Amino acid sequence: MGRKSNNWLLIAPMYIFTLLFVAGPLIYMLVLSFLQKADVWGVEFVFTLKNYLKIGKQVYLNTFWESIKLAFATTALTLLIGYPFGYFMAKLPEKRKTLFMLLIVIPFWTNALMRMYGWIILFRSNGLIEQGLMALGLIDDSLKMLYNYKAVLAGMVYALLPFMILSVYSSAEKMDWTLVEAAKDLGAKSWQAFVTITLKLTLPGILSGVILVFIPSMGLFFIADILGGGKIMLVGNLIQNQLMSTRDWPFAAALAVILMLFTTLFIWGYKKITHSDELEGLL
Amino acid sequence: MKKRVLALMLAFMLAIPMLSSCGSKQEELNIYTWEDYVPDSVVEAFEKETGIKVNYTNFQTNEEMLSVLSNAKGGDYDIILASDYIINIAIQEGLVGKLDKSQIPNFENIDPLYQGFFYDEANEYTVPYAPGIPLLVYDPAKVDVEITGYESLWDPSLEDSVALMDTERVVMGMALKILGKSFNTENLEDIQAAGDLLMKLAPNVRVLSNDQTQDYLLSGDVSAAFLFTSQVVLALQGNPNLEVVYPKEGLGFGCDAMFVPVNAPNASNAHKFLNYILQGEVGAEISTQVWYLCANKAAYEYLPADFQDSLIISADSVPEGEFIQNIGTAATELHNEIYTEFKANLD
Amino acid sequence: MKRYELKNSQPPAVRKRKSKEKLRLSDWYLYLLLAIMYLPILIVILYSFNASKTSVIWGGFTLDWYGELFHDRSLLESLKNSVILALLSSSVAGIVGTLGAVGMARVQFRSKGMLEYLVLVPIMIPEIILGMVFMAFFSLLGLPFGMTTLVLGHSAFCVPYVYMQVKARLVGIDKSYAEAARDLGARERQVFFDITLPLIAPAILSGMLLSFAMSLDDVVISIFVAGARVSTLPVKIYTQLKTGVTPEINALCTLMLIVTVVLVLISQRLQRKKM
Repeated sequence: MGRKSNNWLLIAPMYIFTLLFVAGPLIYMLVLSFLQKADVWGVEFVFTLKNYLKIGKQVYLNTFWESIKLAFATTALTLLIGYPFGYFMAKLPEKRKTLFMLLIVIPFWTNALMRMYGWIILFRSNGLIEQGLMALGLIDDSLKMLYNYKAVLAGMVYALLPFMILSVYSSAEKMDWTLVEAAKDLGAKSWQAFVTITLKLTLPGILSGVILVFIPSMGLFFIADILGGGKIMLVGNLIQNQLMSTRDWPFAAALAVILMLFTTLFIWGYKKITHSDELEGLL
Repeated sequence: MKKRVLALMLAFMLAIPMLSSCGSKQEELNIYTWEDYVPDSVVEAFEKETGIKVNYTNFQTNEEMLSVLSNAKGGDYDIILASDYIINIAIQEGLVGKLDKSQIPNFENIDPLYQGFFYDEANEYTVPYAPGIPLLVYDPAKVDVEITGYESLWDPSLEDSVALMDTERVVMGMALKILGKSFNTENLEDIQAAGDLLMKLAPNVRVLSNDQTQDYLLSGDVSAAFLFTSQVVLALQGNPNLEVVYPKEGLGFGCDAMFVPVNAPNASNAHKFLNYILQGEVGAEISTQVWYLCANKAAYEYLPADFQDSLIISADSVPEGEFIQNIGTAATELHNEIYTEFKANLD
Repeated sequence: MKRYELKNSQPPAVRKRKSKEKLRLSDWYLYLLLAIMYLPILIVILYSFNASKTSVIWGGFTLDWYGELFHDRSLLESLKNSVILALLSSSVAGIVGTLGAVGMARVQFRSKGMLEYLVLVPIMIPEIILGMVFMAFFSLLGLPFGMTTLVLGHSAFCVPYVYMQVKARLVGIDKSYAEAARDLGARERQVFFDITLPLIAPAILSGMLLSFAMSLDDVVISIFVAGARVSTLPVKIYTQLKTGVTPEINALCTLMLIVTVVLVLISQRLQRKKM
């Protein structure tokens, strides 16, 4: 009997903390999304569905659609680039594996803004790359590489790639390679073995990588701001804009609620497919 | 091995109380504004003269400041430096305290040109800090057309080479002015017409940014830009060959000002500070470092000659400029919708 | 156990040559991608030694920016705040998250799935929303803004990191250790401190280190809940990035990078001991 109450005592701090400082604010957000914006500043405590209806307007649906498209493109590219990396990494000898882990984690832990800034120094008009090309006589006018959709996409892929690599790596590392050997011994070609066995066994890693990349890419407003020259409007930017310039908190809250529902749906789908609770390689 | 790990964890936790030592009960002044907006040298000189410790904390947008201030019920901060339209709201919300002018003898140094604005018609709450007029700046080496006003930015030859401020009311304001309307019109048809006009500007816009917009001009990323006063001065410092244009359709005007929140914990120190910066010499030092117009009459004689032209403008231009003020919900929402659509059309 | 399997699964000797060649191609891929990842970081480090103030032109080598860095009082003050904040919130997360994960592994209850979901929510939703609701909610509770609210806000997104790490580690622990100890008459508290805690300690620490790094990097939440007297380093960096990057900031980021590398090294050593 005593054991059971002990266990509850262990959970209590997290339970209370989570209810108070996670569930509390979230409920507040939900309530806010049904309230009305006051004329000049703040909110009026009047129930309304207006905020949700507003999301149905063409302009805002469009913003969601654009964000989803960009998120899909980002996810596809990170998968394409990150999968081989994670896969090859898992095949490295033990010692080099640790070294590579280290090398992946360091940029991941470094201030993201700073890394973006490094890219700007390189790619902007009259930046290092253009100066180099001009010196070589290859170009004579600016290439205008920054401040467009491609730059934002590249920045997103760059920022989120480690998530994909680590996810794929952690499931490839756990993989039983003898199965691949067995398949080959039974006459399967390398690519056949890869498709039927490796890909299947690393699927949880792929899916978890997809989620870990897809979700943040809908909200990373600062990359769109810095590399897109403020021209790309994502859901994250729209929320930011509502808070910081239109002063429409309830609409921002409604947008966030929808975004959260979307996120939750994605994770739920992942759990259904993989029958797993964990996201591979999140840490 | 395990013990060492545990010891490390323990050390980790023990390190905390040692680091978080508390300060003594010293006279303080909490200033809240944008980063780098009050020169360090001024803050330090004030600290030296009065022995008051200044806490200089920053917000990034006016709206952020107002959220924080209204959460603090007009307390926590002693001096806030923000923009005209948000001060207007703050005063309406009862978050701003009236100034005690007997504590600010230098109040009379303020140039009356910069007083009596819409947010503080009776000059009871604010001290103007940085008035300015946003202007067009372009690089004549790269622009083939003659730029005379906002309309010129629509010229097809400027494709993908214009920088604008990322502020919906300012961007929309250009279109409204071209149509001969006020920035603050609440007529939805006029706003929609301006929106339709704005969409045609999309192919020319390369960057939308509120910060360091002049850098895009200097680096050659864009060849024409619509800039705040301080950015205009910085752009000219970086490249004296740039041309500045007072848009023919009509000028905008804005003023950042200081106020004391209604429940400021150190209100008397706040008044000391206001009186301090209104001295002529200090005022000149501020103006030459923040590059806005100088609102301090007593400072004019201390301004370096090369600044005088750009920092003191003729009394005629100021009344000409129009403030961007708060407008009703329907108009605000339409502005927001148009701006969102505008951004979707970019690139 | 694991390592043994892995060795066994190496391809047979006959195919060795072929796979070696393949490995070489894959090596190229790995190194190329790593080089790209590090390029912008190296640029930032390089420019922290740039004598010219504008970032495009190289004006010769200098250490001046590092010197200026150490004379900037408000920058150092915010550095101190950031370190304290990161220590406090990673500690809170360390305690709350560890106890939670241990407890959750032992009991089943109806709201368990919900609780777990809620624990993870803070790292799943846009930070700006989190920052905004934290600010509104804290003022609803009447908490004074400052270090307390910062620690609470940061802890909320640090707990998930520790929780996940410890949870994953607990799955790998053989339950029979604890059972054996109990059979030998150990009390529940003894079992926890003598058996479970040492086994999960590396996971706790690496979770805490990750929390530490995340807290040290956070801008958005800090902006909303910091209050008048406390400013943190990332907020300073962010606002300065917006008002124009000075080489001083490059220098600061270089120093921060060193701190990061040290943290990563420590955490990596801990991870390895897990095996």
